[in-house]
Amino acid sequence: MSKPILTVKQLTKRYGSNTIFENIDLTVNEGDTIVIIGPSGTGKSTLLRCLNLLTKPDGGQIWLDELEITAKGTDEDHVRQHIGMVFQNFLLFNHLTALENVKLGLVRVKHMPEKEAETKALEELTRVGLADRAGHYPGQLSGGQQQRVGIARALAMDPRVMLFDEPTSALDPELIGEVLEVMRKLALDGMTMVVVTHEMGFAREVADRIVFMEKGSIVEEGSPDDLFYHPKYDRTREFLWKITELYGKKEAQT
Amino acid sequence: MKKSLVFLVLIVLTAGLLAGCAGQKADSVLDKIKTAGKVVVGTSADYPPYEYVDEAGKFTGFDIDLMTEIARRMGVELVWTDMPFDSLVAAVQEGKIDMSISCFNYTEERDAQVDFSDAYYTSEDAFLVAETFAGAIADPLEVAQYKIGVQSGTVQDDWVTTELVDAGLMPESQLSRYERVDQAALDLQSGRIDVLVADSVPAQAIMKQFGNLKIVYEGMLYTGPINIVLPDGDATLQAEVNRIIKELQDEGFIDSLALQYFSE
Amino acid sequence: MDFGRFIQFIASGTAYTLGVTLIALPSGLLIGLVLAFVAVYGGKLIGKFMDVYSTVLRGIPPIVLLFILYFVMSGTVNLSPFWAGSISLGIISSAYQMEIFRGAILSVSGEQMMAARAVGMSKMQAIRYVVLPQMIRLAIPSWSNEAAIVIKDSSLVYAIGVPEILRRAQLISASTQEPFLAYITAALIYFTLVFITNRVLGRVERKLTIPANP
Repeated sequence: MSKPILTVKQLTKRYGSNTIFENIDLTVNEGDTIVIIGPSGTGKSTLLRCLNLLTKPDGGQIWLDELEITAKGTDEDHVRQHIGMVFQNFLLFNHLTALENVKLGLVRVKHMPEKEAETKALEELTRVGLADRAGHYPGQLSGGQQQRVGIARALAMDPRVMLFDEPTSALDPELIGEVLEVMRKLALDGMTMVVVTHEMGFAREVADRIVFMEKGSIVEEGSPDDLFYHPKYDRTREFLWKITELYGKKEAQT
Repeated sequence: MKKSLVFLVLIVLTAGLLAGCAGQKADSVLDKIKTAGKVVVGTSADYPPYEYVDEAGKFTGFDIDLMTEIARRMGVELVWTDMPFDSLVAAVQEGKIDMSISCFNYTEERDAQVDFSDAYYTSEDAFLVAETFAGAIADPLEVAQYKIGVQSGTVQDDWVTTELVDAGLMPESQLSRYERVDQAALDLQSGRIDVLVADSVPAQAIMKQFGNLKIVYEGMLYTGPINIVLPDGDATLQAEVNRIIKELQDEGFIDSLALQYFSE
Repeated sequence: MDFGRFIQFIASGTAYTLGVTLIALPSGLLIGLVLAFVAVYGGKLIGKFMDVYSTVLRGIPPIVLLFILYFVMSGTVNLSPFWAGSISLGIISSAYQMEIFRGAILSVSGEQMMAARAVGMSKMQAIRYVVLPQMIRLAIPSWSNEAAIVIKDSSLVYAIGVPEILRRAQLISASTQEPFLAYITAALIYFTLVFITNRVLGRVERKLTIPANP
């Protein structure tokens, strides 16, 4: 029985009079790959950003291992060292090379000596298959390459859990595959991951659990088999198969 | 709420600034000068032949030479500060300079802020026109029918403004004010103005230099004497300066300067 | 008339012009840079104060502010025209520079800040290592414009008696009755200073450009 790395209880987020999501409960165990799916605008990204405290929740609690990170007085910067995030728009530091992007956190946040940081950064770039692009700037890289650097940057910090916010939504179709491949390998290596995505092929193949969210609450969650073949709700079935229809062609290709 | 906060801050700041500069009384500038061993004199060296620069960039002219001698007789070093004419009175008032010599005429308004020495020389005013000017001016007020130029801040400016514009004899639009006389002379040449009203000595100098101008009227429109401007309320400094001026007048020193700088 | 010496006289005002500029521009830079960061990251109330500072200083002609600071404040602090003029121009420039830097900071998207925080950096670290380096590159074109403006505005101190280029040109114009010559000389000197400055800053901008594929 693996232990929970992320525990979410009754998480709530509001913007003004709008409730984005309410009373969300979620447990992410070590080594799990959780994929969150659902229509756009249901608060999936917001939920993800609450997990590493980039967005402040309005109610509920979050634990990282044994530590309640939503408690008052938590050093948020320190917490974020242990949670990696990969963004839809990559958000690489534009003024730095790929290597420097990966190195920055190691040198400035973890206070690693230069040489050590350089070695580690190169390792991570190799891991995502981009060692030969170490000296390139983001403006010189394709979208897929930028995203892989983004993944390396997050991995370099040796996080307890990796959060992926629609990592392939901004990519051209031909470039999606290389990123999903890196993510798949990561999952197989045992990384704990929470992924928000529309890539159903990935969800079916790699997820340990799929969480279907709609209108600010979790409609259903379970194994890919459960949700795809024995969904409890019609809405789940509707959504999954509609999306698979849309993305089905890509599935056949990857 | 935000707008009134901004307004309040501005009011407070302005009040503070104004309060800070209220009534700067100079007590015994003469003592300060004697102790420091130097006198700081302001002038606007753009008014030949009273004050201007020579080829070497040195200040020269009637006022310059006169003040040099005055400082010598005061037994102190002379330090010149040059700035636009309009700034001189404020500079004396604020104590930025100890006194100023710059072909100043006495006016009541200036007297409210600074003091004057006795007159060290008496000058006249002149109407300068282009050679081709056809009119004749018997009475100075007749000049109101023409486009007039003056150097701003001078007594000629005052005279035209008070006697012609304010009196309703001439619309303000007919009057052009210039920072310096040579600017005005250019416009006189080009016909933008018809008459330049200035002190007769610089008028003579300009007439000589430009060659195609003439003087159609000369006389004392305003009080002709020129004075040194001194800090307000310092009687001892005033007495000392006046003493030296009288000395120089009696010795004929000023007359010989006038001959040197003002003769054709 | 020895024009050579007259031109020399005007040109020797360059030392004063440069002096004023080299005090005003860097002090404006320091103040403007700090205020810009404070304005963007300092919270609502502080932002409002910064707005007042910027609006007031940019809403008044520099020469008016110069007179206020020189004549009106001389009751409290006694400064020479050179220092009063240079510092005043520095204060005025700081308001314009604050806006330049503020705009540049805001152009570095807030997402860059978010990505930096996600790696565990504090706000200060994010500003220093991620926002600032990118912001500088964005600010250079506007800043080089401001540098040229300060060089030209330095001529304003003529009004409080600093013997810089413009004042000397005025004196020569009055003495020689050759205004065209005098002012063309002054113009050429100012133009040269501005031209050189723009060229140098253009080089700096090119050197700092981040490589990208077209």
